[in-house]
Amino acid sequence: MYVSTVAPVGTLSQKRRLLKQPWLHVFAISGMVFLALFAYMPMFGIVIAFRRYDFLDGIQGFFTSPWVGLSHFREFITSFRFGNIMANTLGISILKTLFAFPMPIIFAIALNEIRLPRFKKTLQTVSYFPHFISWVVVSGIAYALFSTEFGALNDLMVRIGLIDEPLDVLTNPRSFWTLAVVTDIWKGLGWWAIIFIAAIAGIDPTLYEAAEIDGAGRLARIRHVTLPGIRGAIVVVLVLSLGNLLGGGVSGSNFEQAYLLGNELNNARSEIIQTYVLKVGLRDGRFDFAAAVGLMQAVVSLVLILSANRIAKRVSGSSLF
Amino acid sequence: MRTLKHRSAEDWILDTLIYSFAAVVFIATLYPFYYVLVVSFNEGIDSTRGGVFLWPRSFTFENYMAVFSDDAWTRAVLISVLRTVVGTVLGVSLTSMVAYALSHDNLRGRKIYFLAIIVSMYFNGGIIPYYVTLRALGLLNTFWVYVVPTMLNGFLVLVMVAFFRDIPKSLEESAHIDGANDLQIFVRIVLPISKPVLATVSLFFGVAQWNAWLDSVLFVRSPDLRPLSFLMMEVINSSRISAMMSGMDVSMAATATQVTTLSIQMTTIVITVVPIVLVYPFLQKHFVKGVLLGSVKG
Repeated sequence: MYVSTVAPVGTLSQKRRLLKQPWLHVFAISGMVFLALFAYMPMFGIVIAFRRYDFLDGIQGFFTSPWVGLSHFREFITSFRFGNIMANTLGISILKTLFAFPMPIIFAIALNEIRLPRFKKTLQTVSYFPHFISWVVVSGIAYALFSTEFGALNDLMVRIGLIDEPLDVLTNPRSFWTLAVVTDIWKGLGWWAIIFIAAIAGIDPTLYEAAEIDGAGRLARIRHVTLPGIRGAIVVVLVLSLGNLLGGGVSGSNFEQAYLLGNELNNARSEIIQTYVLKVGLRDGRFDFAAAVGLMQAVVSLVLILSANRIAKRVSGSSLF
Repeated sequence: MRTLKHRSAEDWILDTLIYSFAAVVFIATLYPFYYVLVVSFNEGIDSTRGGVFLWPRSFTFENYMAVFSDDAWTRAVLISVLRTVVGTVLGVSLTSMVAYALSHDNLRGRKIYFLAIIVSMYFNGGIIPYYVTLRALGLLNTFWVYVVPTMLNGFLVLVMVAFFRDIPKSLEESAHIDGANDLQIFVRIVLPISKPVLATVSLFFGVAQWNAWLDSVLFVRSPDLRPLSFLMMEVINSSRISAMMSGMDVSMAATATQVTTLSIQMTTIVITVVPIVLVYPFLQKHFVKGVLLGSVKG
């Protein structure tokens, strides 16, 4: 084996040898070649948002096609679908921040209050399983539960007389936002709770004992010990989800939900910026216009995450970066 | 710890709320999977009559036989397995190589390399320029579009750098003195003692590959290259559309057998989810660390 106990001698020549490091440079540079091709070339390609770009121009078109300034942006902002698409993108995201964001916190606190260790462990293990399955499977399960024909939940509710007619959850535009929030909670509850559970585990147990001696009930202990103890974690996740407000909060699930659970019938409430980009870009072939729409979302997101971070720093003292 | 005798009214109310909430989460998480499993083992036409909630009413393996005897589905399973294996091997290789190089504090240009990786984690060109690039590279409509553009994961590079840093430098130094080069040290010394982090990273790549579907939608047209999740999406879409267009029972299309679109759909969901269940104990062990590293340390 290469492992030997010889003490390092001649540190100077050894240092020189380490500096050469031919293989390490091969490793690092192959990574950089990868990034140049798959990350930086597309990043540079954003310029087509400001050009009149034809699909057939290929990569060269990034450099050679004529500049058109902000006309693609202007076109999107003045298009008749702009208001609707922005309302959907923001509406779904704000609802998720209001409802899907606090749920993992509540779940983590509830789990901490459960006194049956085996049930507690099983529940936690079960809770984050949905995180590992794809949105395709989730949409298939949603179909199995909510379809108006064979949906199990609809079937059950009709049978026990809770409703007369099956609910058209999957096709009614008015239920899409609710569907998006509920499926987001279902898929992400346990996963995002992990962070808060870890934070709760880090709270000094003597704080609870002291509070109890001071006469604090369980609710008071949750309010005055548990919640302050996980404030840092809450701020971090809140900043992350505000930063991705246009993408659907911390899980970033807006696109996959809109693509898989959206359909012609609920389109009025399910079309968001990202699905619109795909439609006008890849289906209608308007690459330059779609790139401009995508860029607008990216810029807004960047502004959001920076301001969320700054507000968090000012309000609570903890922040992401 | 308090005993049951000393519970106050507040305790009672709180406990009732907490345990009901816990029960709802438990059932709401597990039952949908269980229901899918039940329907996959129930005769297709029988399932469309409804009322199958807890146990298959007329038990059958027919749905599974229908899926596995259909060339389109078996090919999709094969593509999914292939992309998972190849994508994981390629991803772990490049990601660990880059991470190993960057774990050396004396590597020249280290700071620039790190910067390039971190910037690529936070910014991207968006889907349209990405598509143009893949097209120029000749990757569109090939198997490689599944496994090549995913080879380097910036977050996993950072995870691996943290691990490699903890390996005692003396191990490497003495190998250098014995005349080994960095490639030999990496392959014969570093990788064998890095099994825990290799397992974590492999699981990340493996699950992502197994679940991936969007790349097939956007970058592939050939029906021969469709993975399982893509086919599943197609079935879900077609059943929803046919259900709303004609308003008639989808099962009428399949007259020869008891198999319906719904039962095929549920069966393929089971086939997709089972591998995840099998690696779940490992996922739990390795991913919980991962999310804490990724989210809390940002």
